[in-house]
Amino acid sequence: MVLKDVLAKETKTAFMLGNEAIVRGALEADVKVVAFYPGAPASEVLDTFSDALGNFDYQMEITTNEKVALEVCAGAAFAGVRSLTAMKSVGTNVASDTLFVLGYTGVRGGLVIVMADDPHAHSSQSEEDGRFFAPNAYIPMLEPSSPQEAKDMVKKAFAISEKYRVPVIIRTVTRVNHQSGIVQLGEIKRSDFKRVKWKELNEEYATLGSVARRKKLKMLERTAKLAEEFEASEFNFAKQFGSDVGVVTASVSYLYVLEALKMLNLQGKVNILKLGTTYPLPKNTIRSFIKNLKKVVVVEELSPYLEKEIYAIAKDTNPALSIFGKNSGVFSEAWEYNPNIVAKGIASAMGVEYPGYEAVIQEAKQFKEIIPDRYPTFCAGCPHRATFVALNQVLKIQVSKGQEHYFANDIGCYSMWVFPPISRGDSSLCMGASVGVANGLSHVIEERVVAVVGDSTFYHAAIPALINAVHNGNKFTLLILDNSVTAMTGQQFNPSTEFIAGGRQGKKVSIENICKAIGVEFVEVVDSYDVKNNVEVFRKALDFDGLAVVVSRRECALYGDRNKRRRGEKMVPFYVDKEMCKRPYVCLRTFYCPAYEIDEDQQLRISAELCDGCSVCSRLCPIQSIKRTEVEA
Amino acid sequence: LSLNIFICGVGGQGLVLLTTVIGNACAKTGTKVITGEMYGLSQRSGAVSVHLRIGEDAFSPLIPYGEADILLSLEAIETMRYIEYLKKDGIVLMNKRIMHPPIETSKIIAEKGAMYVTLGDVVSKLKSWTPNIAVVDALKLARESGNVRTENTVFLGCLSALEAFPIEDNAIRESISEAAPKKTIEQNLKAFDLGRKNAYDSLCTLVACKHVP
Repeated sequence: MVLKDVLAKETKTAFMLGNEAIVRGALEADVKVVAFYPGAPASEVLDTFSDALGNFDYQMEITTNEKVALEVCAGAAFAGVRSLTAMKSVGTNVASDTLFVLGYTGVRGGLVIVMADDPHAHSSQSEEDGRFFAPNAYIPMLEPSSPQEAKDMVKKAFAISEKYRVPVIIRTVTRVNHQSGIVQLGEIKRSDFKRVKWKELNEEYATLGSVARRKKLKMLERTAKLAEEFEASEFNFAKQFGSDVGVVTASVSYLYVLEALKMLNLQGKVNILKLGTTYPLPKNTIRSFIKNLKKVVVVEELSPYLEKEIYAIAKDTNPALSIFGKNSGVFSEAWEYNPNIVAKGIASAMGVEYPGYEAVIQEAKQFKEIIPDRYPTFCAGCPHRATFVALNQVLKIQVSKGQEHYFANDIGCYSMWVFPPISRGDSSLCMGASVGVANGLSHVIEERVVAVVGDSTFYHAAIPALINAVHNGNKFTLLILDNSVTAMTGQQFNPSTEFIAGGRQGKKVSIENICKAIGVEFVEVVDSYDVKNNVEVFRKALDFDGLAVVVSRRECALYGDRNKRRRGEKMVPFYVDKEMCKRPYVCLRTFYCPAYEIDEDQQLRISAELCDGCSVCSRLCPIQSIKRTEVEA
Repeated sequence: LSLNIFICGVGGQGLVLLTTVIGNACAKTGTKVITGEMYGLSQRSGAVSVHLRIGEDAFSPLIPYGEADILLSLEAIETMRYIEYLKKDGIVLMNKRIMHPPIETSKIIAEKGAMYVTLGDVVSKLKSWTPNIAVVDALKLARESGNVRTENTVFLGCLSALEAFPIEDNAIRESISEAAPKKTIEQNLKAFDLGRKNAYDSLCTLVACKHVP
C-alpha cells in the first residue's frame, strides 16, 4: 500500500497489508486515541498510525510497554473516547494485568485491542495461543482471516465495545498481519476532537473485594448477552453443500481450507463453518452445523481451542460424530499450518487420496545441503557488533585468568548474538528478564554475571529489576546497549530520543541519570564504536565489586543511514589495501560483518554496496590495511 | 487461473517495495491479488520471502509446495532455500549476485578446504528441478540506472515482459511513481526499462513473452 490509500477519502479498492487495513478500519470508526509498544507481527499498525498522524486529529503515543499502551487506551475509553492498541502475542502477557481488570470495570468509549499471535515463533520467543485470554478475562474476541475482514471487524468491534461496555480483542496471527490483499475502503467520517468533562459523565471504574464479586456476576450476564448477539453475527457463516462431512475453522486457517479443498478436488463437496466470533462462541450455530454430520474436521493453529468446545457440544448434539483434529492426531499443536498441511489433514480425515508433500520437501532438502544458513545478523555499521567485539575481548582475557562468566541476553537486535557464528548466551527469556535473572544468579553461581539489555527494553521492563539489584546489594555487570531507537521492530522512537510518534518533539529520558538516581555506584557511558577504550571500561565494570552499569551508545546503523540519506550525505565505504593486507584475519575472525567476503587472493574484500563506512573494522586492523575510500570534495 | 510468484532475497533488498508496487498495480486494474510476507525481524541480511498470488482462484496467502510458476530470487543462494515452492519445469528468475552470509565466510577461515558456493554450483543444481533458468546481472543494471538499490525494480522490469504477467506497463509505472521514494522515482523507472530490455535477451528465450514494444 501507499499511505494515501490509508488516508483516501474516496471509497475505492486498495492493496493493503493486514496491519494497514486495521488502521484504516480504526480511522473509519473515528478512533481518537491510539497507543502502542512495537512488536512483530503488529508493528506496522504503529508505523502506519505514526505516518498518518497530522492528517487526522487523533492522539498517539509510542509507550514504554504494552501495559502502559493498554492503560493509555483505557483512560481514554473511561472518558467515552474511542481508542485502539495493538501488541504482539507476548506483549499481551505484559498488558494482561490491566486486561483482566478491564473485564470487570468495563469501558464507556470503544476500546479495541489487536492481539497478534505468532504461530511458528517467526519473530517471538515462544509460540503462544493468546485466544485463552478471552475466556479467562471474559473479553469478547473476533478473529479475521484476511485484511478485508480485519478492517471490517475493527469497525464492528468499536460498536460492540460501546454497546456492551467492554474492551474487544481482535486476535490475528502473523499470516493475517503480514498478508496483503485487495480491500474495499469505507467512508471516513471524522468528528472533531473535543475534551470531555469527567464529572458530567458520572462514571466509576474501581473494583476490589465485594465490588469485584458483584461485578463478576455482571460480567457473566454480559457474556451471555454477547453469546446471543454473536449467534447472528455476519462474521460466522456456513457454506452448506449437503455433505455429511464438515470443516470448522477460523482465522487464516479458513483460507488454507479453501486452498486445500481446491487441491483435493473437493470444492463444493464439504460443508464449511467459518467462525469469526471466537469468544463467546456461537454454540447454537456450531450445534446446528454439526448436528447431521458424520465427520467434522477442526482446522485451527496451535491449541485445540475450538476443538474442545466442539467435543463438548457434540456430546449432547451428535454423540456419534467423528471429530478430527489435534486430539485424533490429524493435526499438531506445534507450529503454523499451510495449505499442504491442511490438505493432508482433511484428506486423512476423509479417507481420500493425497500424495502428501514429504517427497517434495525431501527432494528440496538436497538443494539446501549445499548452501549456508542465513541467520539474521547485525547490519553493516551496527553498534552492537562493536560492543560485543570489545566485550568478547575482555571476557577472553578474564577467562584466561580463571574468571568465568554467565551471559544473560535479552530481547532486541542484540539477541542475534545467540546465532552462529557467534553463538554466545547462557539465557535469553523475555523483555527485561536478563536483569531479573541476574539478581537470582548473583546469589548462587560462582561466575560473574554479565547481563545485556537495549535502551527500549530497559525502559520497558528492566528498571524494576535494576532497582531491586541496588536495594538488595546484588553484584553483577549490566551493559545497556543504547542505539536510540527500538531497532528490531523497525526503528521506532522510544524515550532514548527526543522524538515521539509522528516525529514530533518529545523529551529524552537519560538512561545514565536513571541508573545514578537509583543508586548504582558504577555508571560509565561509552561510544560503542570506540572498541579499544571500551575494552578497558568493560574490564573495570567486570572487576567492580558491586553492581556496575555501562551504557554503550551509538545510534542504530539503519536509522543513522536513513537519516544520512535524507540529509543527502554520501555513505563512504572502506576498502582493503591489498598491498598492505598480510591476512592476519583479525577482521574476519572477530567482526563478522555482512559486507565482508574473501576474494580470490584469500584477502578480505569489503562490498562497497553494503559497507556503511562505520570505520570500526579499520580501527581494529593491526596493520591499518582497511582504508576509507577517497571521495572528491 | 492464478499466477503464483515466490519472491526471495536478503533483508534490505527491497522485496516489500517490489510487492507493494505489483499489488498496487493490481488494485488499479481490478485484479485480485493476495500475498504472504515474511520479514519478522526487520534487520538487514537475514532471509526474507514473499508469496505473491495474482488471480481469482488463489485463496491462501501461502503458495502450496510445487505450485509457484515463478521463483524470483534477488540473491542467488536464496533460490535454493525455497525450491520446494517451484513447479517442476517452472521459471527461475534469479540474480547473479551472491551475498555471502558471515557464517559462510567464517567457515572458510576456520576450515581448510572450505569454499564459497558459486553461481555455477547453484545453477547446475537448479537444472535438476527445471531447465528454465534466467540469470540477471541486476546489480549492473541497477548501477546503470544510477541507483544501486534498484535491483528489485530491475526484476520487476523482467517480470513485466512475461506473457503470463497480467498487469499493464502503465499501471506498473504509475505504481512505481507512487511507492518509490520521491528522489529515486526516475532511477526506478529507468531500472524498470533496463530490466524489461534485459528480459528479451534472457528470460524470453525460455518462456513466452509479450511482443517487443
